[in-house]
Amino acid sequence: MISFLIKRLAALVPTVLLVITLSFFLLHMIPGDPAAVLLGPNATPEQIAALKHSLGLDRPVFVQYVKYMARVLRGDFGNSIYFQQPVLKVVLSHAEASFLLATLGLMVVILLGVSSGVTSAVLSRTAYDKVFLTFALLGASIPSFWLGLLLILLFGVRLRVFPTSGFVSVLSTGNLSNLRYLVLPALTLGAVNSAVVARVTRSAMLEVLHQQYIDVARAKGLNSANVILKHALRNAAIPIVTVLGFVFAGMMATAVVTENVFAIPGIGRLVVQSVLRRDYPMIQGIMVLVAFLYLVVNLATDIVYTILDPRIRLT
Amino acid sequence: MSVRKLLLVVAVLGLGVIACGSTPRYGGTLRYAMYGEPPTLDMHVTTSVLASVVAHHIFEGLFDFGADYTPKPVLLESFEYQGEGTTVVFHLRKGVLFHNGKEMTSEDVVASLKRWGEFGVQSKQLWNLVISINAPDKYTVVLQLSEPFGPLPAYLANIYGGPRIYPKEVAESAGAQPMSPDKYIGTGPYKFVEWSPGRWIKLARFDQYASPPGPSDGFTGSKVAYIDEIIFVPVPDPMTRVAGVLAGEYDYADSIPTDLYDSLAASPNVVPLLLTNPPIYPAMVMNTKQGLMSNVTMRQAVLATLNMEEALRAAYGDERFWSLESSYFAKGIIWYSPAGKEYYNQNNSAKARELAKQAGYAGEPVRFLVSSDYKHHYDQAVVLAQQLRSAGFNVDLQVYDWATLLQRRANPELWDIFFSHFLTVPEPCLVLFLPGTYPGWWQNPKKNELVALMNSTLDFETRYSIWEQIQALIWEDVPFIKIGNAFFLDIISTRVKSSDHPIMLIPYFWNMWLE
Repeated sequence: MISFLIKRLAALVPTVLLVITLSFFLLHMIPGDPAAVLLGPNATPEQIAALKHSLGLDRPVFVQYVKYMARVLRGDFGNSIYFQQPVLKVVLSHAEASFLLATLGLMVVILLGVSSGVTSAVLSRTAYDKVFLTFALLGASIPSFWLGLLLILLFGVRLRVFPTSGFVSVLSTGNLSNLRYLVLPALTLGAVNSAVVARVTRSAMLEVLHQQYIDVARAKGLNSANVILKHALRNAAIPIVTVLGFVFAGMMATAVVTENVFAIPGIGRLVVQSVLRRDYPMIQGIMVLVAFLYLVVNLATDIVYTILDPRIRLT
Repeated sequence: MSVRKLLLVVAVLGLGVIACGSTPRYGGTLRYAMYGEPPTLDMHVTTSVLASVVAHHIFEGLFDFGADYTPKPVLLESFEYQGEGTTVVFHLRKGVLFHNGKEMTSEDVVASLKRWGEFGVQSKQLWNLVISINAPDKYTVVLQLSEPFGPLPAYLANIYGGPRIYPKEVAESAGAQPMSPDKYIGTGPYKFVEWSPGRWIKLARFDQYASPPGPSDGFTGSKVAYIDEIIFVPVPDPMTRVAGVLAGEYDYADSIPTDLYDSLAASPNVVPLLLTNPPIYPAMVMNTKQGLMSNVTMRQAVLATLNMEEALRAAYGDERFWSLESSYFAKGIIWYSPAGKEYYNQNNSAKARELAKQAGYAGEPVRFLVSSDYKHHYDQAVVLAQQLRSAGFNVDLQVYDWATLLQRRANPELWDIFFSHFLTVPEPCLVLFLPGTYPGWWQNPKKNELVALMNSTLDFETRYSIWEQIQALIWEDVPFIKIGNAFFLDIISTRVKSSDHPIMLIPYFWNMWLE
């Protein structure tokens, strides 16, 4: 296990370097000028040129790349052009909101998606199954901005039980009650993502429930719950865990619409805004974080595989 | 008529004060839901409106605008012109403290003006005339100019990129780049506390604030910071901003869709504020330097085509939210003039075809840039492009994100027309395209002569008559086509009170309290 972890972490280095390099050159190929965005619409070309010079953006792209990489290798991701604050500080402050939102969202997904998928598989070809399939289709089709606004109007404006928007740090205040800011966004994200997980769960469970060892378990007189949860679900869990891993990473890195609707300062919103502002150092910093995130999620998924199925060996 | 209904009428008419009544009280936190996040609060180097909204509470200038948009002293006791107007002597107010506790003196003013002059985005018209600036004593600053500069007070009062006064050590250490937030030290009624990107910008009352004397008058006169703390929260979705105010989580929200006006007016918790004083104006900017639109007859042909009403209706809907208006200054501002209005909203395709023929137009593509980031830009551009096509122009409507449009418009080889919107400014010298450095690069000998004359004249009546000639020339030479006036909609909670608080260019929260 230890050697596996070391190998995977070592593989992180070239992956991140590749991500930085590709994103750096791609970003500099798209039109748009951070200096013009920063100075506002009234700036003259001379003033924009002066600021570009001051920021070092008028140098050849390759020179900028070498300087940037030299800094990154020292652990310095530079300052955001837009915020004039260290990239690492801004990215990490947004990562907290995204991590908490994705974690709560994942809990909703497991609660809604996995449980309804299992039930639907057990009760397949019944009225419940048909209702479930309809709701799963509906869930996958509901735009998250619409669901989010409905939740805001009901629970934020009408009932006033949850805040309509915003985020207050749990880490810096140590106050867990600030998680209330994430309840409605997590429900939105969770509901929308549950549909996919539920369908994967249903299909994996259906496959397992037709296996002979399930019949054997039933013949041995095991009760139904034991058969379904202990024997069937565990063996069906590998594709479910795989999807949950990707759903988690997606909720953390690309929940742009939900973050916008609820004004959550998360990674998804930050990356879109940074692209619109052409804040190159910020985009680079986020790219590294997201690459790291996906690799960690993959690693965690692999480890969970070994727990679920001891026949799988990590080498 | 109830007080609330009266207020609504006042707001609709644009005469407005924000909610009145109740006894002033100190305390509380005002939360402002903003549509975006400013790039910086360093006002020397940006003209961002969002930056001005926040920074106007932190920083002050030598002058600012009164409720009638005439410039008045803020950090000054007085000022005087000497000689033939080429020497300007500023007498500073004594006892004005920066947020770091240091008294503001002439050396801070000199350092701030120098930094703004060198790197400011709105400084060159004045700074090109400056021979010297010095501080003969602790409370006096002398500006020596090569020729008189008539709009000097308004130019120094400019809230979009004008010279705010920073401590000397801050101004001297800052270069072309925006300052970092730890350097945001001003003399205003609120001090900077924290900027957490994506979450909020926090300001707190500055207890040692030295208010300008006299009654409150727009951005000038007495300023009392009743509210303890102001938090500006970026909330990108307009419906969430509305829901937040309705739920009592925010006290103010900007840029609300105007189609919500009637339902918001019926709500007991909020007052809709239609920002008519002054309005914004959407406009087409012509590339006078290069390409098809460098021919004045072609520009006149485009102008003859346009039906402004159709474009405004498409973008802003109901007539309460826009108006047909050719003047570059809104009614109520001393520079308002109808000069040139005969060229406005002609909607005459036959004349347009004739003018295009005279210009030798042979169906070449007219490259018309617009950004999809601003829906009202895009809506109007689509309508206007179709009108031009109907009049025989081969319009190539190119849609970009805002950052790309900003880059492309800086290159005269890449476009013929671009669409944008502009804020009404209180003084002709602040009209962006007049100096000829703004993309479009309008250079006209008569315009240059008139602008030079207007800038070197101190007498208002003479300056006004020159401005009327310039405005008429804008409509004849067509470097720029104003489509009309448009009114943004903000909303404010009914718990926010004020005794006298006229709606101005940007919202401001001194002299307001929370019930």
